[in-house]
Amino acid sequence: MPGIIYKKWLAVMLAFMALFLTSCGEKEAERGKLIMVTNATFPPYEFYQGSRIVGIDADMVREIAKRNDLELVIEDMAFDSVIAAVQTGKADVAASGITVTEDRKKQIDFTTSYVKADQVIIVRKDSDIVGPESMRGKRIGVQHGTTGDMYVTENLQEPERFQDGALAVASLVTGKIHAVVLDSAPAEEHVARNKGIRILPMALVSEEYAMAISKSRPELLAMFNRTMAEMKVDGTMDAIWARYLDKDGKPLAVPAVEAEEDKGMWARLADSFEVNFVKDDRWHYLVDGFLVTIEISACAVLMGLCIGFLVAVVRSAHDQTGRYKVLNFLCHIYLTVVRGTPVVVQLLIIYFVIFGSVDVSKVLVAIVAFGVNSGAYVAEIIRSGIMAVDSGQMEAGRSLGLSYGTTMRSVILPQAFKNVLPALGNEFIVLLKETSVCGYIALQDLTKGGDIIRSQTYDAFLPLIAVALTYLVVVVCLSQLLKKLENSLKKNER
Amino acid sequence: MNADNILEVRELVKEFGDHRVIDGVSVGVKKGEVVFLLGPSGAGKSTVMRCMNFLETPTGGEVLFHGQPVDRSENGLNHYRSKVGMVFQHFNLFANLSILDNITLAPVKCGLMSRTEAETQALHLLHRIGLRDKAKAYPSQLSGGQKQRVAIVRALAMNPEVLLFDEPTSALDPEMVGEVENLMRELARDGMTMLVVSHDTDFAMELADRIVFLADGKLVVDAPPAVIAASDNPRIRDFFSIR
Ligand SMILES: Nc1ncnc2c1ncn2[C@@H]1O[C@H](COP(=O)(O)OP(=O)(O)O)[C@@H](O)[C@H]1O
Ligand SMILES: [Mg+2]
Repeated sequence: MPGIIYKKWLAVMLAFMALFLTSCGEKEAERGKLIMVTNATFPPYEFYQGSRIVGIDADMVREIAKRNDLELVIEDMAFDSVIAAVQTGKADVAASGITVTEDRKKQIDFTTSYVKADQVIIVRKDSDIVGPESMRGKRIGVQHGTTGDMYVTENLQEPERFQDGALAVASLVTGKIHAVVLDSAPAEEHVARNKGIRILPMALVSEEYAMAISKSRPELLAMFNRTMAEMKVDGTMDAIWARYLDKDGKPLAVPAVEAEEDKGMWARLADSFEVNFVKDDRWHYLVDGFLVTIEISACAVLMGLCIGFLVAVVRSAHDQTGRYKVLNFLCHIYLTVVRGTPVVVQLLIIYFVIFGSVDVSKVLVAIVAFGVNSGAYVAEIIRSGIMAVDSGQMEAGRSLGLSYGTTMRSVILPQAFKNVLPALGNEFIVLLKETSVCGYIALQDLTKGGDIIRSQTYDAFLPLIAVALTYLVVVVCLSQLLKKLENSLKKNER
Repeated sequence: MNADNILEVRELVKEFGDHRVIDGVSVGVKKGEVVFLLGPSGAGKSTVMRCMNFLETPTGGEVLFHGQPVDRSENGLNHYRSKVGMVFQHFNLFANLSILDNITLAPVKCGLMSRTEAETQALHLLHRIGLRDKAKAYPSQLSGGQKQRVAIVRALAMNPEVLLFDEPTSALDPEMVGEVENLMRELARDGMTMLVVSHDTDFAMELADRIVFLADGKLVVDAPPAVIAASDNPRIRDFFSIR
């Protein structure tokens, strides 16, 4: 029996290596591709239509890619990460309604700007806010990392920073905040879809949008500027614009949300369900996201178990026999660093720094990040399990002539594993829920799937509930499974 | 000391930190001999025994097997220990393994025999102690006396040349002491070489070929039971009359 378990572990490890290698190889030959990053919660510049990202920025880059024989790949990530993605070479261009600022110019190059835009203030219709000064001391919402954020931070006060504009607007509508500072074009869209809010006539500040390209890619920058100039001359730019905005700059074809006071609560809920999940097959975001979450969690759990087992054995062997001094020291550093820093930070470091210059799939990055993170906790759980096994068990094994390793594998580890199964199960549940920060590196996991629906429907309630329920169901199933496993192991000794 | 000792310690010293627990003890056991190690609690009996198979590393002195110093390399120790069985006060049966697997694990892993051979032998041994029907049971399902008899049989399965017993009956309920002592009597009758730490003076007087008396980490006397009984050493008289 113990031998079989051992071989299983080996097989899992090998499978991991294979996964790692193929994932690396897969992404190798990406010549002829143009990778654009954006935060697709910013209509009419970038937003989801079904599973496709469209909008002025997206259509523009699509056209640029086409004219230069490049295959376009669009990746959706948090706005505060798009410039970093270009800087680290994760992407070729960031097109996300990015405002030209002096600070940003120091980090990346901007293409020629393609639109002048205003930062405007959105308030509830009954609000007494009339301009920037009367916002002072009120709660002001912004999208994290935008120029609206910078303006409010520098000139007024600390704002409440949201991951996307839609969340900020949703908070405004529900009365959690008093005003939102946002770019004028998406602000128009939000106001068109939400009764009860309006845009103040006075713009906060005027600015320009441009696309961001790494400073080390002057040839790419030249290509963009050249093609954009051509598109302006031959009317393509205007045509793209006309797809989304009328000649007054007001958004086209936005289904305004009608007053629904006459409907009952259940009818409204049914409508909301229809809009959030059925229309445009939006449920796909949840299902696809769910699969990504499960894939990442399952692989990370296996990886964490492998790492955790190895580290725990090294540390216990060092404590019990005094061997493996160097290895033990390395393990100690690993545990200290991983347990001493938040998992989101680790994920971002692994994505932008460790895998910064290599092109690997983001799912793999997430698996590595969560696997390495979980490994540290699993290691300490298993080590505590090993220490809890009566020392007489090891002595009995050694007194029979069995080696330390054999006794460990055949006698100590099976008992330790059984002892810590509840704690391990708990760690897996924590891990599953922790993967919800994957959106930081533009992975469309379950949480991110809910975010996308929210950004399209401007409805916070149902998508969040659906995401929460999905996690809950998975966790409950997992707990039941672990309980079964525990019971079947318990049968052995009673 | 005698050259035909199978197992012998010479001038054994053991210190835990500054605390000298064993102070120059020499003991040996000849083939087929049963030697009892007696003495007050804390005298160092267990420590001497644990040093004999290196569960504790001796601070000084020598451990000889067939007159040769034991090879203390990892492999050397494993090989040596496979020939010197040990029975513990608290049985130390492998809690995660069935009774059968407890007995077969070491012979199979050490390459002494195939799994089928080991199982045949194990069932034979279990039959001998009347526990054949417990082969598939787990240690937690056995009584203390049954556990200790299985532990003895587990050590026997390696075909050891010497068996070390560290207070094999001290953790047992009184009504279970007999079944374990009977098995030990049987082994002694069959010529097994045994070194036994015990506090049961009557059992020692009955079974021992020699009794070694330890106090404060030093050897006080090493003699046959009859000589011990006639001893005028007040410490020994005291010890034996108290019990
Ligand atoms: N691992 C240890 N660390 C420190 N002191 C120990 C250890 N093991 C035993 N001792 C000490 O060594 C002395 C002898 O112990 P032991 O050999 O168990 O005595 P006995 O078996 O004769 O009752 C005692 O004083 C005990 O406290
Ligand atoms: Mg003792």
